[in-house]
Amino acid sequence: MVDLIKRAKELIESSSVKVVIGYEQGTGNKTRALFVENSEDADKLIFDSRCIQNLAAYITKKEIKEKGKMAVAATLPVMRSIIQLASEFQVTDANILVLGITPESKLIEFGNLAEVEKFVHQYEIEIDVRNKEMLDKLEKMTQPERWQFWIDELAPCFKCYACRAACPMCYCSRCTVDFNQPQWIPVPSTELGNLEWHIMRAIHLTGRCIDCDACYNACPLSIPINLLTKRMLLDAKEHFGGYQPALKGEHLMSTYKPDDKENFIQ
Amino acid sequence: MSKIGVFVCHCGENISATVDCAKVAETAGNWDGVTFSVDYKYMCSDPGQSLIKNAITEKGLTGVVVASCSPRMHEPTFRKACAEAGLNPFMCEMANLREHCSWVHEKGEATTEKAIDLVRILVEKVKYNHELTSIKVPVTKTALVIGGGIAGIQASLDIANTGHKVILIEKDPSIGGHMSQLSETFPTLDCSQCILTPRMVEVAQHPNITLYTYAELESLEGFIGNFKAKIRKKSKSIDEKLCTGCAQCTTKCPVKKIPSEFNEGLGKRTAIYVPFPQAVPNKPVIDRKNCTYYIKGKCKVCEIVCPTGAIRFDQEDQIVEVEIGAIVIATGFTVKQPDFFPEYGYGKHADVITGLQFERLASASGPTLGEIRRPSDGKVPEKIVFLACAGSRDPAKGIPYCSKICCMYIAKHAMLYQHKVHGGKSYVFYMDIRAGGKQYEEFVRRAIEDDGVNYIRGRVSKIYEKNGKLIVSGVDTLLNAMPVEIEADMVVLATAGVANEGAEELAQKLHISYDPYKFFAEAHPKLKPVETNTAGIFLAGACQAPRDIPESVAMASGAAVKVAGLFSKDELTREPIIAVVNRQAPPVYSSCVGCFLCVSACPYQAIEKEEIKNRNGEVIKSVAKVNPGLCQGCGTCVAFCRTKSIDIQGYTHEQMYTEVMALLNEY
Repeated sequence: MVDLIKRAKELIESSSVKVVIGYEQGTGNKTRALFVENSEDADKLIFDSRCIQNLAAYITKKEIKEKGKMAVAATLPVMRSIIQLASEFQVTDANILVLGITPESKLIEFGNLAEVEKFVHQYEIEIDVRNKEMLDKLEKMTQPERWQFWIDELAPCFKCYACRAACPMCYCSRCTVDFNQPQWIPVPSTELGNLEWHIMRAIHLTGRCIDCDACYNACPLSIPINLLTKRMLLDAKEHFGGYQPALKGEHLMSTYKPDDKENFIQ
Repeated sequence: MSKIGVFVCHCGENISATVDCAKVAETAGNWDGVTFSVDYKYMCSDPGQSLIKNAITEKGLTGVVVASCSPRMHEPTFRKACAEAGLNPFMCEMANLREHCSWVHEKGEATTEKAIDLVRILVEKVKYNHELTSIKVPVTKTALVIGGGIAGIQASLDIANTGHKVILIEKDPSIGGHMSQLSETFPTLDCSQCILTPRMVEVAQHPNITLYTYAELESLEGFIGNFKAKIRKKSKSIDEKLCTGCAQCTTKCPVKKIPSEFNEGLGKRTAIYVPFPQAVPNKPVIDRKNCTYYIKGKCKVCEIVCPTGAIRFDQEDQIVEVEIGAIVIATGFTVKQPDFFPEYGYGKHADVITGLQFERLASASGPTLGEIRRPSDGKVPEKIVFLACAGSRDPAKGIPYCSKICCMYIAKHAMLYQHKVHGGKSYVFYMDIRAGGKQYEEFVRRAIEDDGVNYIRGRVSKIYEKNGKLIVSGVDTLLNAMPVEIEADMVVLATAGVANEGAEELAQKLHISYDPYKFFAEAHPKLKPVETNTAGIFLAGACQAPRDIPESVAMASGAAVKVAGLFSKDELTREPIIAVVNRQAPPVYSSCVGCFLCVSACPYQAIEKEEIKNRNGEVIKSVAKVNPGLCQGCGTCVAFCRTKSIDIQGYTHEQMYTEVMALLNEY
């Protein structure tokens, strides 16, 4: 990614942005987020197929926002996240510059978020074959079987909240689980408590999740929690007619439309 | 420490017959925080209320739980009693032991246990209640009446005569509605237009009524006393100020063969038209779908002949914004058309017509000038058959209800036919004769006994054409189900009265509920027949269910009184059960993260953005803020808020959680 390094240097040297968020080589065979604040650091920037962490999770962080305008090396999922965040008033043209990386690994610099939106809309959000098969398998189970599947899958979860930290949509300064007057979702990791936390997370992400799998990738136990959000994505599509993040979006779940199907409450 | 009083009501025997009220009171008396607990025969009676008041003053109660009927019934009573004894009325809660327990369960220990649970929930909740004060909002003393039929006309006149302003909107070019189409009215046979048109003129001339015809409701915002409505005035393509109603244009218009809506398709009209001679306002509109100029780009005959130059081809729809305090919906109904009935030929026999079409044939202002002539060849029918319940009371057709007006108008139709066609024979196929109403039964007897109408109790299975006659094939159930065949010249179907097309969309615009048949729902079937579940919106006439003229008028006057009652005060008091977004000390200011999903979720547009600024005027944070005037306390935003930053006063997260835990925990 010579282009990216060059552009990052220019941006930092000209003070157009204060920080460029990208990827660098981590420990082992992993990559990690890099925050470029001086032009020497820009040389550490890399981009390859291992760079799957959703960098949009950083742009709502107070510590990053305080630095000033930022540039983000954004893959398609990251761009989608940025558009969704913009529609939720968390980021504006004034504080972000998107250095898009196309699915063909080409660098495109976008002038504003409207251009990002236009680019993003060329691609439908689609669930990959492997996960689709898994969802179908779950669908075919009886209700008790499915219940047991999730009880078993979620049993080892010890609520490290890595999924929450990795998710760009989990930017709330006070998460529902941190709300303790009253404590609706219990803090200890218990069978039912784990289920409550993950169901709550999936519901809060319905109509907002752009299916980047960051939560699953971050999970130290590789619990397939992304199946929950994927299921919600499909359900939302079925009941409310598809989802594509949009700057002036009518939010899928909060906007009432007369032609919304209401077949789930009959 | 809470000092809570529990007051268990027997409601005569309504509760005590299945619930051991004394045991409920005794158990509650042992709970933490309960300082006083008692049961009594009628808590809502004067001595019952005194019991509560005395306990508040003597025991210094900080919260009250009345375990009795539904809060819908007596919450205001008990809150008032608490307020009179010096306790904030919102520190009073009601446990519904009647509807939720005693009425729905058998006598037994489990029933009493459930009653104890219900009280327990509220005792725990009331510990977290906060003192609240009512909200006062101003009232805009203008009413909007939607629909200019007889119900809308009556409601408008009644409201206007109390001295308040009325805006009446009608979607057609003239007011008058279905009543203006009728020939005579039952049970007196007086001419419909003769009694209606003076009212129509009165509407037009009333100083308090603003009339918008050819206009529809575009959108509605706000709440009781403070609605904002947008009205779409559809373009009439004429300048109403210049038009004198001279009718030059309507006589000269070359497009003359459009089926007339007013004559139910039996007559023709021109593209620029006045629906009927007595129309109010008596000024034409151009029907753009059929006008040659709008289709082909030339003609303009009307513009040439207009002596005042009032034609405006380029006129556009106009949106008028009005502020109103109350709404009366009087949008009426419609009837099913013959094409709904496969057994009667799907509307392909020209001489199988609807009751409303028969009205036009019998009317002196109709296409035949009041002579009964059949549409196909203009012959006077020698034999005529009337079918009651065409569609109505037929679950297979999806209309299980009785359309109510048909039995009476069929008797009227048959009578009019006998009066006009001497020697003619008329038959009525009916299921039951429903003539409940003042002088209604007498009217039907007159048709049968004096005018010789043949009533046959039975249904018709099919109608088909043979040798120029319509063969009506039915059964007489009073003659042991003997098949009957009548060779008729004309058949009149009393087709079911159904909700107007677009009723559902209108209900959604107004946020009111409707029944499975799309008729608008009243707030209570007996005690609140003209109210809707949305405060400040009332119903009149056949938009609520099929209604005859006297009922529509009575309902309209009822709705008008409700509006006048609302307008009798300058301010409305509203319950403080509204949503509030939390505020905290700096640097947090609020746990709200400003995603504003609540803004799109709010059905009342009650949530706005608030920018929190520092001393230099820089925005530190954007957070949601609820407008207390607009919020209806529905709680949708609460459910949407991921950070749990919104609470409904009186139903906070803490209170809800406590209620649930009270049920789950052992005590």
